[in-house]
Amino acid sequence: MQSLVTRSAASTWRSSSVRTFASSAARSQAVPTEKPVLQKEFKIYRWNPDEPAKKPTLQSYTIDLNQTGPMILDALIKIKNEIDPTLTFRRSCREGICGSCAMNINGQNTLACLCRIDRNPSKDTKIYPLPHMYIVKDLVPDLTNFYKQYKSIEPYLKNDNPPVGREFLQSQEDRKKLDGMYECILCACCSTSCPSYWWNQDEYLGPATLMAAYRWMADSRDSYTAQRKEKLQNEMSLYRCHTIFNCARTCPKGLNPAKAIAHIKMELAAD
Amino acid sequence: MMSTRALGLGSALRKAAFSPKIARSQVVRNIVAKRSIQTQSLPPSAAETILNKQRLLRPSSPHFTIYQPQLTWIASIANRITGVGLSVLLYGYALAYLVAPETFSSAVVVDFVAGLPDFVKYAGKTILAAPFAFHSWNGLRHLGWDMGKFVTIKGVYSTGYAVLGATAVSTVALVLL
Amino acid sequence: MSSAIVARAAFNKRIATAFTRQALRPLAVQQARTASTEAAEFKYVPGGPIYKGTVNDPTTFPPPSRTHGSYHWAFERLLSAGLIPLTAAAFVTSGSSFPILDGLLGVSLVMHSHIGFDAVLVDYLHPRKFPVLGPLLTWVLRATTATVLVGVYQFNTNDIGLTELISKVWHA
Repeated sequence: MQSLVTRSAASTWRSSSVRTFASSAARSQAVPTEKPVLQKEFKIYRWNPDEPAKKPTLQSYTIDLNQTGPMILDALIKIKNEIDPTLTFRRSCREGICGSCAMNINGQNTLACLCRIDRNPSKDTKIYPLPHMYIVKDLVPDLTNFYKQYKSIEPYLKNDNPPVGREFLQSQEDRKKLDGMYECILCACCSTSCPSYWWNQDEYLGPATLMAAYRWMADSRDSYTAQRKEKLQNEMSLYRCHTIFNCARTCPKGLNPAKAIAHIKMELAAD
Repeated sequence: MMSTRALGLGSALRKAAFSPKIARSQVVRNIVAKRSIQTQSLPPSAAETILNKQRLLRPSSPHFTIYQPQLTWIASIANRITGVGLSVLLYGYALAYLVAPETFSSAVVVDFVAGLPDFVKYAGKTILAAPFAFHSWNGLRHLGWDMGKFVTIKGVYSTGYAVLGATAVSTVALVLL
Repeated sequence: MSSAIVARAAFNKRIATAFTRQALRPLAVQQARTASTEAAEFKYVPGGPIYKGTVNDPTTFPPPSRTHGSYHWAFERLLSAGLIPLTAAAFVTSGSSFPILDGLLGVSLVMHSHIGFDAVLVDYLHPRKFPVLGPLLTWVLRATTATVLVGVYQFNTNDIGLTELISKVWHA
């Protein structure tokens, strides 16, 4: 009780002192500068499976960029937290390694967490789900077929004669062949940017899966290269690739699936 | 009072004290709760039916209408369109000649073209020369890629602009030929 | 007393099983019926939202065929590459003085066109998605290409040939 009275007395004294020396105190303190409001419009694709008859629409949200993080994912999370909790999208790592937040931002497939917000307030930013995919809800596409295709190329080391009592050895040159391919995070940005994949995704494997296929063909430790190649010897699985290069252009990890596919084609032709 | 608050029973007791007598009976309350919640027993196999029912409702997301126009795929579709256009012309003329060799003989065609006004001639030549030039140069670019050359984004763009430039120059050259 | 309880329990059980059997029979029939209608309702359509098998089954590959695979691809590239010297030759020669070269160019162009048209059909109108239109157009294309080859042959033998025609039209 005694201490309480003393503290309130002290605070009264301080407030009165601040009032007395207001100008000098403000000058000595580092006051955070008030940021100007920077309103930016985001137009986001919406579709709700609970109201399936309603056609997909673009919904507009306006947020203050100076109260938002720098990336598109920050804006989406802010909209979901503060404006519309029903907005649905996938996200996990927020640092471009999980591949969850792949979507079409301003006409280009990329990861929302790696894509900076264009700070020009006069232009709106359009966000769509990955193109030509069946939509589960809002920005969430159904990737079932994409994963089933990835599984079909047996993305694991196959070797009937593993070295006894030691690990697989690989020369530095052979290991180098896998660089630029093993980094793929399967975000599906490339496959869903590919017009051939748009028209024939049930049979054409698409850039992501084909690069994964080549990653195992090029692996010196794998002994099933011939069988892996034989599987692609048909009209659809590989040869629907028309070297368009949308895949390499859009890859958020800077990889080049088109180059891997070009190498598969050359190796198949040389067989 | 202190103890009920600590146990979190305060509101429950207050509710019981103010609610009608019948609702205070534990038995009646349980029955009310059971009646209001309805569950349905489904076998595990029903999961797929539910999923498939939803799958059939799913819309397909928009694609080329919203995708950014880029040199990569615009050049590719242009290659296809120019190729199909020129091939249709070749097929059309060959079929026409087979059906009516007299009407479509070279002499008749050349005479017909010679009778056209100059601006139509130049327009026609441009319409023919531009697709031919683009398809030819872009075809070379494709052959380069198929040999593993220029298969980087930088290679794609520099060869792409080179093809556009070469197309412009050779179209002019062909028209003035 | 105890035997009476056992007997009653057995009686109850018999009634219960009979009851369940009776009650379950229409249910089973009903389930079978819904399963068959479901199979029709959730039919796999190529490119549709219903997939073959479960989410854990990998997609399957078409039967391997090099004629449709690498041979087709390599032939297409060699043909395209061959068009480069043929086109260049057509610019510097005249069709009437080099009829073989002109004929070769005509045939190559028609084959190149045929492969291009065929790629368009496979990309946009594949028989698996268009069971009537797809095969129909594939055969229409084959017939047309054959006819066009005859036409080009007729034109090159009875008339002045492709190179000469283009050259004359261009300078008309």
